Amino acid sequence: MKKTVMGLIGLMICAGMITGCVGNDKNFDPKKGITVISREDGSGTRGAFSDLFELVVKTDDTQTDTTTLEAIIANKTGVVISDVVSDMYAIGYVSIGSLNESVKAVKINGVEAVGENVKNGTYEVSRPFNIAMNEKISDETQDFINYILSADGQAVVEESGYIQINSDTVRYEPTGASGKVVVSGSSSVSPLMEKLAEAYMGLNSGVSVEIQTSDSSTGMQNVMDGSCDIGMASRDLKESESSLKAMPIALDGIAIVVNTKNPLDNLTKEQVRNIFNGSIIKWSELN
Amino acid sequence: MKIRENVMKYVFFLAALVSVAAVLLICIFLFANGVPAMAKIGVFDFLLGKEWKPSDIPPLFGILPMILGSVYVTAGALILGVPIGLLTAVYMSRYCPKKIYGFLRMAVDLLAGIPSVVYGFFGIIILVPFVRNTFGGNGISILTACILLGIMILPTIISVSESAINAVSSNYYEGALALGATKESSIFKVVLPAAKSGILAGVVLGIGRAIGETMAVLMVVGNQARMPKGILQGVRTLTTNIVAEMGYAADLHREALIATGVVLFVFVLIINVIFSIIKNGGKNR
Repeated sequence: MKKTVMGLIGLMICAGMITGCVGNDKNFDPKKGITVISREDGSGTRGAFSDLFELVVKTDDTQTDTTTLEAIIANKTGVVISDVVSDMYAIGYVSIGSLNESVKAVKINGVEAVGENVKNGTYEVSRPFNIAMNEKISDETQDFINYILSADGQAVVEESGYIQINSDTVRYEPTGASGKVVVSGSSSVSPLMEKLAEAYMGLNSGVSVEIQTSDSSTGMQNVMDGSCDIGMASRDLKESESSLKAMPIALDGIAIVVNTKNPLDNLTKEQVRNIFNGSIIKWSELN
Repeated sequence: MKIRENVMKYVFFLAALVSVAAVLLICIFLFANGVPAMAKIGVFDFLLGKEWKPSDIPPLFGILPMILGSVYVTAGALILGVPIGLLTAVYMSRYCPKKIYGFLRMAVDLLAGIPSVVYGFFGIIILVPFVRNTFGGNGISILTACILLGIMILPTIISVSESAINAVSSNYYEGALALGATKESSIFKVVLPAAKSGILAGVVLGIGRAIGETMAVLMVVGNQARMPKGILQGVRTLTTNIVAEMGYAADLHREALIATGVVLFVFVLIINVIFSIIKNGGKNR
């Protein structure tokens, strides 16, 4: 009796695995529904995305985010990518700096999502990365900020796949400042900040830069209560954070990503908007 | 000697105070931050509102979808987890050979010790494609979360139910056998009813675990902030609402999330009260 039961369970597991595998190998069927993946409300990436694709409908005193309620909400860039990898019919959006081989970035209005196109303005889907600090800052903090905005710092921005905010800045001159600078905030900005800090410490060994990765709100909070010197935000500052001084350090493009099995390689801005507001629900409706 | 004893007594007392103080501080923090937000939004708009759009102007903070989401996901987890857990407990307590028992015990304890993020990965990599290929939809759904939580609450239900069954005096079981009942009917008609309050306590603890689980659920449930639409569609629970948006929230949005925490806290409080009532009820009989 026991053996029969065990045998049956074993068979069922095998059958499940086989159907599972067959399911994964199926070809792309455009008649299937689109799995829309968005980010959580308040996320810098989502804010920028909804603004750029006019998903936020504004009148004089109201503002409504029309992103479809059916959209799956992923709370990290990495989760968006793994959701898109595992679901053939998914579409999502991530920072160009976080793109990798496992997903496919589609062209928008025929323009490829690469840093160059963001810089020359043909790829329109971009947002600024901000840093914020208190009015009074230490010499070493000021020195680090000078470095970020200098030609050298902006070259690091460019090398990391992001876009310079300002291309005709002066070169950085080491001033011999010394001390410690604590930077805290958005996980979207921190990969870039790490590269900047590394390059800066190579030029100026007297200063050590410590980076704490959390999120935009925590970063701003930390600057305000003095537990860090510079905050990183991938969004604009909120009203309650207006005591801080903010400045952009780089531009980041947002790429629309689909599964690698998806034959699609171009979308118009209008189509993206209609997919994310729920007016287009099947891939076949795009043609 | 006397002084030393007295001193130590106060040290122990202080140690005991730490947990009480922690609970009190959490309560004060939650209510001090959450209740004003609820008042600002309007208690009914908050608890019964069907739309959650914190970035809109004017913002909408309705958590009814999340309350229902939590209830549905927890109920589903119980439907899947309780029968399996209970039968496992019966097997471990009454049928299991010694050799298998040690192995089974170890497996159950291990299941309890796995971090919830690992359950989440398991869910995203194994369960989501399984549900997508077997039942349709995109796999990120209430059903997936129910299966995952059903597995996660097993150790709680098994351990508590097993000790409840073991605690039933062997007179009951032997008496039933002596009256001519079969082994099965002695267990299911005599021993289990006698262990009822202990088993119920296990189920209530399981509810507590399911409703409070966050990381694993976050990864498989989809987090759509709208009214639940079906078992193969995603939903957002109270816990995932907090953890998904806390990182970027500011001002009233942040306070609304803390107020969501208050609602969750009240839920857990109710569950704990029910648990102690059941436990005491069992003792008095």
